[in-house]
Amino acid sequence: MKQLRVMLADDHTLIRAGLRLVIDREPEFTVVGEAADGRQAVALAQSLAPDIVVMDVGMPGLNGIEACRQIRESMPEVQVVMLSMHSDEGYVLRALKAGARAYLLKDSAEADLARAIRAASEGKSFFSPAVGKVLLEDYMRTLERTGGEDSYELLSPREREILQLVAEGKSSKEIANLLNLSVHTVETHRARVMQKLNLRGIPELILYAVRKGIIS
Amino acid sequence: MPTAPERSNIGVPDSERRLRWVLLGTFTALLGLILVSGAAATRTLREMHRQEQEARRALSQRAQSLSKLYISVEIYNQDIGRYMGEPSEKPDPEVRQQLDRLTSEIGSELNGYPPQRKPGEAAMLKFIDDLYRQHLELYESAIGAAAPPAARGEVLRLRAQLLDGSGQLDAWNGQQLRSSDETLLAEFSRLQASLTGSLAIALGAGLLLVIASMAYILRLERQTRNRYEELAQSRHELEQLSSRLVDAQEEERRSISRELHDEVGQSLGALLVDLGRMSSNLPADGSEIRERLDHMKALAERTVGTVRDIALLLRPSMLDDLGLVAALEWQGREVSRRSEMEVAVESANVSDELPDEYKICVYRLVQEALNNAVRHAKARNAKVRVLGSASGIEIEVSDDGRGFDPQRARGLGILGMEERVKRLGGSLTVQSAPGQGSVVRAELPLPVPAGSTA
Repeated sequence: MKQLRVMLADDHTLIRAGLRLVIDREPEFTVVGEAADGRQAVALAQSLAPDIVVMDVGMPGLNGIEACRQIRESMPEVQVVMLSMHSDEGYVLRALKAGARAYLLKDSAEADLARAIRAASEGKSFFSPAVGKVLLEDYMRTLERTGGEDSYELLSPREREILQLVAEGKSSKEIANLLNLSVHTVETHRARVMQKLNLRGIPELILYAVRKGIIS
Repeated sequence: MPTAPERSNIGVPDSERRLRWVLLGTFTALLGLILVSGAAATRTLREMHRQEQEARRALSQRAQSLSKLYISVEIYNQDIGRYMGEPSEKPDPEVRQQLDRLTSEIGSELNGYPPQRKPGEAAMLKFIDDLYRQHLELYESAIGAAAPPAARGEVLRLRAQLLDGSGQLDAWNGQQLRSSDETLLAEFSRLQASLTGSLAIALGAGLLLVIASMAYILRLERQTRNRYEELAQSRHELEQLSSRLVDAQEEERRSISRELHDEVGQSLGALLVDLGRMSSNLPADGSEIRERLDHMKALAERTVGTVRDIALLLRPSMLDDLGLVAALEWQGREVSRRSEMEVAVESANVSDELPDEYKICVYRLVQEALNNAVRHAKARNAKVRVLGSASGIEIEVSDDGRGFDPQRARGLGILGMEERVKRLGGSLTVQSAPGQGSVVRAELPLPVPAGSTA
């Protein structure tokens, strides 16, 4: 079986050691390198070309989000699992925009790391359950206080289906095959979903899906 | 501190107090001088008037006495003439009687004439006295005998002398009047001289007073200017000090936050990872140990949360991780989560390349304004708007709380915001009224980046 090559980037040795222990426990993963800051992470990723980079958001010099953007731009085949202390949507959305596949809270990294790495390697999204919970709470509270309506109610069943598939990381062509629709129809549905939910781009769509508990 | 000795100097210095007294004294003396010379002049004038009256009265008395004497002698002469009369006629006893009366009258008057006499007066008196004696001789020789014709000639000669004397008397009278006028003139010129002197002294003193006052005023002006400059200087220093304090405070917060995050946070994180690993490696029958481990993990997680909150309060790491806008949005959501107030954040054209002190200024400003809105205004909704432009940033935080009177309630929070904004050359306005919500607005000019034209 081909092993997944994982690289770690965190400015704290203790944390890296802990992560390494968790990853080493899984036979199909192997840790190929460790970086202590953002710049080092970008350089090391370029020389090692790992399958997965597990990266802390807050690092000195170049922060994790910026490092993720640079790695994804130069090597789109490398997937990034973002580690963070914050379950706030500001972080999640920016991590997604920077190209991260998975977003893990450090508190629960130990339990979810293996699942997140696996999901990312398959091109799927993964989020710590607590993240979805916080996002949903924020969303519901705002709706309640401002008296706005839940835009999810505006979507048709087909649109909801397509929303979920897009959020899971599937391309229009894959979705078209799956649902026996033309690519054009899928893209029309997709555009209508974006318009109804007032979303700009896939990262916001993924965030929305996480918030609504459509994906996790 | 240099402020302590300066404070004690605020009172009037000794030299100044002395100068003030000197000015006051000179002024009083000048006033006194004018009053005294005025009074002296009045008194002198009155005295002169009195003296003149007296002199005139005395003069007219003397002139009268002399004239009376003279007239008496003239009558005496006429009567003697008449007494000697025609040779045929018998001497008139009435005339004789009158002559005797005149004789004794003139004699007693001459004897009783006041002894102090002026030279002209004495000469006049002596002249009259001589005439009188010659007449008396003539009269005595004529008594009882028929007067020789020569004696009648004598009478005529004496009359001629008398006529002469009347001219002399007139001349003497005129001379007396003239001399009294001269005395008066002399008195007047003396008075004039003394008044001129007083006036000159008063003018001189007045001039000195004016010069001294001018010098005093100029000195006061200079001192006031110096004080003002000192004040402005110390205010400037105070502003710099407080801006350094703000910097130092931020620096301190950042380092404590870093310390908390790096040391405490990471150790706890590693602990959590270890605990999790232990519990998953535990054999199936160790349920009691698993329970203990879960408890420890929960405790460690709570502690991680607390440490993270404290670190974030000290230094919002979002500013470093995500930039200003995302940090403000995060803050808005954080306040919404923890309070009853819903915060909406809007932003446009805000650069992520802002210098750190600008980011932290905007962040703390919004933090403080939202904090006030929640704590004091009990607002339900708040809106944060941040607009960037090439020249600066505009920040506005408005709420629908119960408002306040900005003139009265300038709490430390607003002062702190003002301090931060001013430090970067910006301005802050607070609009509010009871029941009207409040709007905090700030404008921050951006520094022109060095080498931006290159």
